Amino acid sequence: MFELIANVLLLVFMVFSMFTHVLEAKIPKTYMRNPSNLMPDVWPKVIISLLCICLVINIFKIIKKNKGNPEFTLKAFCKNSVGFFKSKMLIGMILVTIATLIIETVGFVVTAIFVLFSYGFLLGEKKLVRLAIASVLIALFLHIVFSGLLDVTLPRGTVPFLRNFALFLENLI
Amino acid sequence: MSFGQMFTYGMSAVFGGTQFFMVVLAIVLGTVFGALPGVSATMAVALGLTFTYTMEPVPAIVFLVAIYCSSITGGSITAILFKIPGVPSSAPTTFDGYPMAKRGEAGKALGVALFCSAVGGIIAAIIMFVMSTPLSKAALAFSQGDLFAITFLGLSILTVLDMDHILTTIISGLLGLFLACIGQDPMAGVSRLTFGNRELLSGIEMIPVLIGLFAITEVFKQTNTKKRLSADDAEVDTKHVNTKMPSVKEFLSIKWVILRCSLIGTVVGILPGAGATIASFMCYTMENKLSKYPEKFGTGIIDGIAASEAANNAATGGAMVPLLTLGIPGGNAAAVMMSALALKGVQMGPLLLVNQPEYLSATFITMIITNILMVIVAMGIAKVFAQILAIPYSYLGPIIVMLALIGSYSEGGAVGVVVMVIAGVFGIVVKYMHLNSAAIVLGLVLGGMCEEHFARAYLMAKGNVFKALFGTPIGAVVMTACILMLLSPILRKFIKKPAKK
Repeated sequence: MFELIANVLLLVFMVFSMFTHVLEAKIPKTYMRNPSNLMPDVWPKVIISLLCICLVINIFKIIKKNKGNPEFTLKAFCKNSVGFFKSKMLIGMILVTIATLIIETVGFVVTAIFVLFSYGFLLGEKKLVRLAIASVLIALFLHIVFSGLLDVTLPRGTVPFLRNFALFLENLI
Repeated sequence: MSFGQMFTYGMSAVFGGTQFFMVVLAIVLGTVFGALPGVSATMAVALGLTFTYTMEPVPAIVFLVAIYCSSITGGSITAILFKIPGVPSSAPTTFDGYPMAKRGEAGKALGVALFCSAVGGIIAAIIMFVMSTPLSKAALAFSQGDLFAITFLGLSILTVLDMDHILTTIISGLLGLFLACIGQDPMAGVSRLTFGNRELLSGIEMIPVLIGLFAITEVFKQTNTKKRLSADDAEVDTKHVNTKMPSVKEFLSIKWVILRCSLIGTVVGILPGAGATIASFMCYTMENKLSKYPEKFGTGIIDGIAASEAANNAATGGAMVPLLTLGIPGGNAAAVMMSALALKGVQMGPLLLVNQPEYLSATFITMIITNILMVIVAMGIAKVFAQILAIPYSYLGPIIVMLALIGSYSEGGAVGVVVMVIAGVFGIVVKYMHLNSAAIVLGLVLGGMCEEHFARAYLMAKGNVFKALFGTPIGAVVMTACILMLLSPILRKFIKKPAKK
């Protein structure tokens, strides 16, 4: 059922894109003057049209394939979806999303400690003290190696003391 | 540049300054990444990108090529010792490698795997080197229409390779092409499909997308997997593995297997989207059919290991041919490399070998050196593999997430990190929609190039679509081949029906 819903949603999105966002600015007049120029909307429109045709065929194929399947109902889908909302995968997605939201503010080191500890715990690590120590050490190691040794720019954070700490780490090497 | 000059340049690119140290580091990283289940060769290359941001283009390609080659070999270690392929292309190695290991011949199985991997990789590197220069010279004479047809061929081949899921493969390819349309169009610079988001004006950031699709998606998938591999799970004594190279007699008995599979592996690697996994399965099946003792395949014979390992390593060299000569990646890992080098201003394709032949020589020498060095490194790693495997996924998974974060942040800043997470979640949706992620990536990487070539061909043909596509003999032949491939499911039905009658 998820496959069908996803295909339908993708089809709706494609139709919406086709009619609203294929061209978001005016084509320069100088470009339009030459009739041999390929207009900027042609290529995406061809791609979207082909995609829509394929999606429609795929939707019919999915319906045909699942005819008579008792699991192929909205009710069964809702029931199965509960499993996803309780899954570790969703929590993992949320943890990584949180990391992306805080990385600019708190900087790399704190984000790394957060991800290493929380995701490690999520993946079933039971020795929490060991995990906490390892998280701090790995976070510091990654920051020193990438920022200090490899000159990769990592976010230092906007909180003053965290920023100063990141600068201190970078100056270690 | 003469052969001698190219050879000298390649050697200096690998051995100059601290470069050799970086190559060894890349081989160690690649072998360990490849050996760890849940870390694919593409993910290894994507994570390797993190180390190359501040490198010059040539050292960067040397580093990434070394990771790529060694990760494919690393996959055979777990395949033989644990019956779990470290990378998908090592799956056929389990068929004979594990039974041998269970018989107490783990060292011999590993030795054959490493030896055949090295030979396969070296043969492919030589073929790549020999083919690349004439191919890129020929490509220089291609018209825009020809280039469009060849780029389009890269996408069309995917449908033939996955005959059972042609429709979903086409949808995936088109989805990739659609994503490539986002941003300013290549000819007039008009913004398209950005939905008012200024960050999307320059198009979708390729590196965060690739890192998201290949690293983050895999970690998300593993989060739900309860089973974890440990040295204690094995029915084989993994703590005392001494790799034994094949004897002269053993080598002579499999010499044709190695040669055949290396050649076929290289050819399969050249095909966009095919790659190491298809090569190893194809060669294993072929050798089973050609063998004088097919009944012994799967019971633990060195022929099976040789077929699989020579083929999958040869495919790595093959994948570099279309990348270096035409600017078309031969697979996901090559697509990651192409995106990384594009960031450094390197434009892959026929002009690259004319203007900067040092790339070819650096790639060639790296592949040769890596394939030799990785035997030594993998022998060492196999010895301590039980200890490496003791690293639980609860530590490894978050480290992969952090490396992915570093890679995405270095490339696209905070926006890059957001794109990476979206791509990671999208990868899960793709999995449940039964779409083909390789086709999406190829569509995304080739989309801009495809449109640009077509727009130029259309302009040169003065608005005549037919002339733009079929105006030259090469274009006509390649486009016809593409159409036949795309129509193959319908054509197959027509061909099968009379046969039944």
